[in-house]
Amino acid sequence: MIKVNNLSFTYPRASSPVLQNLNFEISEGEIFGFLGPSGAGKSTTQKILYKILHNFTGEIHIKDKPLGQWGKEYFEQIGVGFELPNHYLKLTGKENLALFASFYNKNRLLKVTDLFEMVGLQDSIHKKVETYSKGMKMRLNFIRAIMNDPDILFFDEPTAGLDPVNGHKIKEYIVNLKNQGKTIFITTHDMTTADEICDRVAFIVDGKLRVTEAPSTLKFRHGENQVKVEAKGKQPAKFPLEHLGQNAGFLEFISTNELLRINTMEATLEEVFIQVTGKALKA
Amino acid sequence: MKQLLKVSTADFKLIFRDPSLRIFLFLPALIFLVINIFLPYLISKFEGVNEYVSYVLIVATIENTQMFGFIYSMVLIEEKETEVARVYGVLPVSKMWFVLFRLIIPCLITALLTWAILLIQPFYSLAIMPSLVFSILSGLIVPVYVLGITVLSRNKMQGMIWIKIFNIAVVLPIVAFFVPDSFTHVFGILPSHWAFQGLSDIIDGGSFFVNAIIGFAYFLILLTVAVRKFSKIHFV
Repeated sequence: MIKVNNLSFTYPRASSPVLQNLNFEISEGEIFGFLGPSGAGKSTTQKILYKILHNFTGEIHIKDKPLGQWGKEYFEQIGVGFELPNHYLKLTGKENLALFASFYNKNRLLKVTDLFEMVGLQDSIHKKVETYSKGMKMRLNFIRAIMNDPDILFFDEPTAGLDPVNGHKIKEYIVNLKNQGKTIFITTHDMTTADEICDRVAFIVDGKLRVTEAPSTLKFRHGENQVKVEAKGKQPAKFPLEHLGQNAGFLEFISTNELLRINTMEATLEEVFIQVTGKALKA
Repeated sequence: MKQLLKVSTADFKLIFRDPSLRIFLFLPALIFLVINIFLPYLISKFEGVNEYVSYVLIVATIENTQMFGFIYSMVLIEEKETEVARVYGVLPVSKMWFVLFRLIIPCLITALLTWAILLIQPFYSLAIMPSLVFSILSGLIVPVYVLGITVLSRNKMQGMIWIKIFNIAVVLPIVAFFVPDSFTHVFGILPSHWAFQGLSDIIDGGSFFVNAIIGFAYFLILLTVAVRKFSKIHFV
């Protein structure tokens, strides 16, 4: 669906490139996460992909067609969820959505009232956006991004600044979209979000991609190949995963103690990021 | 066309729902009152004012352009500040045409109001068509003014400063009528100068075509530059 080869980009008047030779592909129906600290080039990459920034070098193909050959019809195919809520505050939620909806082809437009209902904003549809909370504005951002039923969606830090309840809702909506076959490209520095919803993630630091892989694979590869067993009144014990069922020590431990929990020793995505890039995300 | 109407409707809702912008919609009414009631009263009391009527009329018509100039500058700067502008950047619409179409309505309303001021004022019997041509020319001040201020301003505070500067720049060419003839067109660097001179020609009953052609050409060049610059930075 999206193919990026040797993508580099330098902002005008900047001395060094913000993106250097990025290579990645995103398949149809996949959630792909771009992870990295602030200023790593995540949003810049998205802006290039949704044709706000030009003058890049390298090749980008969207649906097997070079990005440069797409005209304004490209924007019928994509939806963009911005990092911050950006609405006309003096207009109502419905007026905001109806205004932007008027630019799209009618055939693919989703019904405004259905969209508000989907994200639980039906009671606020006629209220001015200035009365909305941040969580409500972000949900409005979300339904604006999907109102044209796009095939490809870009979300920039979709859960940033949201409370856990609203963050969870947004994640659920994104996974639902994936289940409908949409291709989704998110940027985030929230490892938990990435771990929960992304099929694959790419680590980007200082404009360079360090690794691209499924979160589970990364966590497994960079973790310890052991299980940690905790029992009441005992020091936690570790046993190798290999031939665990035949491990006499393990079998004795679990049969003679009151167990509290058994965990695999896979790394967290954040630990993997630090191992791979040598940098902490929230630095 | 439907999109243009939707955006214009939304723009007017934004203007009417913001008291600080709504108040500016009364500016043309104030200008009508000054030209049709206050100025005749002033002339009846002080006969010497009579020789300055044409200048007052010229300034009044140009001031009329400030209404939508100010209002739309504020609307677009707020759009930039709140990042709503970025949403337009990812819509299936040509950015340059969108900018042009969006400013057509304020440009047209300004031109019509200016035309009305010229036809209703009690001092001169001005020809209808030349007045219309001049009104359209002065209407072009609005998009150039709005785009210029929005490109130069990052926020409303900066916007207010640039509005002051632009206001002075728009009215400054009136000085051209008070300097020796050889210096008149020094003010031609400011586009409103050509509108001022055109209206002066119409009031004097002379040919306004040269000033009108230079004015239209100059405004169209400025408009092209402003639209390109605006399209490059407003939606990012």
